[in-house]
Amino acid sequence: MSRGVPGEPLLDAELAAFIQGGVSVVVATRNPDSVPDVARGCGCRVSKDRRRVTVLVEPARAGSALDNVVANGLVAVVFSQPSTHRTIQLKGSDARVVRVTRADRTVALRHLEAWVAELTGMGYRPDFARAVRGAADGMAAIAFTPTSAFQQTPGPGAGERLER
Amino acid sequence: MPLTLGSIRPALEGAIPAVIATCARDGTPNVSYVSEVHYVDEGHVALSFQFFSKTRQNVLENPRATVIVVHPATGAQYRLALRYERTEESGALFECMKAKLAGIASQTGMTGVFRLRGADVYRVDAVAEVYGTPIVPDSPAADYVGQLRRAVTRLAGAPDLSTLFDVLLDCVCRDLVISHAMVLMSDTAGDRLYTVASRGYAESGVGAEVRSGDGIIGAAARARTPIRISHATSEFGYGRAAREAAERRGLADRLAQEIPFPGLAESQSQIAVPMLAGNRLVGVLFAESTTTGRFGYGEEDALCVLAAVVANSTDLYETESEPAAEEAGPAGATAGPTGPPLRLRRYAENDSIFVDEEYLIKGVAGAILWRLVQGYVQERRTDYTNRELRLDPAIRLPDVSENLEARLVLLQRRLEERCPALRIVKTGRGRFRLEVRRPLALAEVRA
Repeated sequence: MSRGVPGEPLLDAELAAFIQGGVSVVVATRNPDSVPDVARGCGCRVSKDRRRVTVLVEPARAGSALDNVVANGLVAVVFSQPSTHRTIQLKGSDARVVRVTRADRTVALRHLEAWVAELTGMGYRPDFARAVRGAADGMAAIAFTPTSAFQQTPGPGAGERLER
Repeated sequence: MPLTLGSIRPALEGAIPAVIATCARDGTPNVSYVSEVHYVDEGHVALSFQFFSKTRQNVLENPRATVIVVHPATGAQYRLALRYERTEESGALFECMKAKLAGIASQTGMTGVFRLRGADVYRVDAVAEVYGTPIVPDSPAADYVGQLRRAVTRLAGAPDLSTLFDVLLDCVCRDLVISHAMVLMSDTAGDRLYTVASRGYAESGVGAEVRSGDGIIGAAARARTPIRISHATSEFGYGRAAREAAERRGLADRLAQEIPFPGLAESQSQIAVPMLAGNRLVGVLFAESTTTGRFGYGEEDALCVLAAVVANSTDLYETESEPAAEEAGPAGATAGPTGPPLRLRRYAENDSIFVDEEYLIKGVAGAILWRLVQGYVQERRTDYTNRELRLDPAIRLPDVSENLEARLVLLQRRLEERCPALRIVKTGRGRFRLEVRRPLALAEVRA
């Protein structure tokens, strides 16, 4: 496992592209009493050096996620492509709630387009795809350095750590 | 009004995968997809335990978990606060989830990959809708209360068991708009079920048997729980179950060629509902469709109500069937038998009966028929009561609770289909007549 320190970033270019595509983005956090919470995100952005991941969430849909991140910086985010079941989980311990930029709004719009295309390709109605993903009216951003990655595509190999 | 688990059951169908967050002992959160969040009761759900996953390891260390489930028609999402309680490795919940999982595995091309090790039961501490903009679905959820009311009234008017089965299938096929359905009755020992009526199939399959535990029907019978599969799977296919069962059986059963099980080769959705009178398994009501996801909770609820009504009615036909003397029908006025003799051969080993070399029936129904044709050949006797059959040592009814009336329905229908020269005609409550249209030649084969 590589840490967010000099050397290769944990995410290679292909994985970075995958998590920024039309995939579902789901964030887990936990409160000071170790009670976990889960929230669906509305897009993801990877920094140029691929060391930093920013996940966009709607506060109204995010439960206690933002409070939890502020309290302890711990996150786990799973990215999954419905049509292939390809699923990757990233974890980090330095997460912060950061300001939403104009670039983030573009990311959210692109994510919505890609997500709707993914689900309509599977036979779902576009408005159903939008309802699942959320409108991303108000947004917040959670940025973290992924320190571990896990392959979670269903099957016996699920849960294996991805090494770099 | 607070949300209840019951009000969000469609979101617990596994149509859209759920997500679960857990937290390890060291405080590290984890998030994962789950193929099934199964409704157990108003206070519990169960998750399938297939692999030794991080999620499972975490809840064994820290029982708190949060899931989001998605309503498959509206896209509405619900957040459930859960607390892990226990794991079940057998029983009704386990069997039900196992069958459902096999359906999901088949749908996702994962047959053989998914294997249920246990049903992890969680207490539900809170249910809340996630803020969002759900859509109005294409078609509203099925509501069958009106249909059920009419069906129950019609079932109550059935004069005999045979009519009861027909009315039941009428209700299922017409009122619930289900194209293919069948009724199977359980034998007393509870180790097999035999088909007594069906609708929608090219061959009725009356007499076809299913062993308890085999396929979706046998699994529903053994676990006494409704089982529903949205995507057909070879694992629970009755075709394979029947084949394997045939291979396990002995010579006599192979001689008595299996009555082919009716069923759709291209079946996609299946549901099997046990017919229970108290804890006693009376039979199974089964339906299937070529459409995936055809049966939801609405259909399951409706079929469970119909199955319960029928299950608790069958005993009435047994107990009320003892006739008063004056109820006896008129003496046989049928034309005498003509034509070439009908050759009936009986294998004593399993009471199987062949007519002109064609397999007809076996077991208790076979023993009844043999008793009737012997009575005819030896004493020209044609009129019988259920009571005397029940007491007849030659028929070897396992005990008084044996569903004799159901056996007679089976025999009556097999004769109609395969041996029109013999007919069983009701002549009153608990009373019937054998009509013989050809001379009979009987032969016995002893093992």
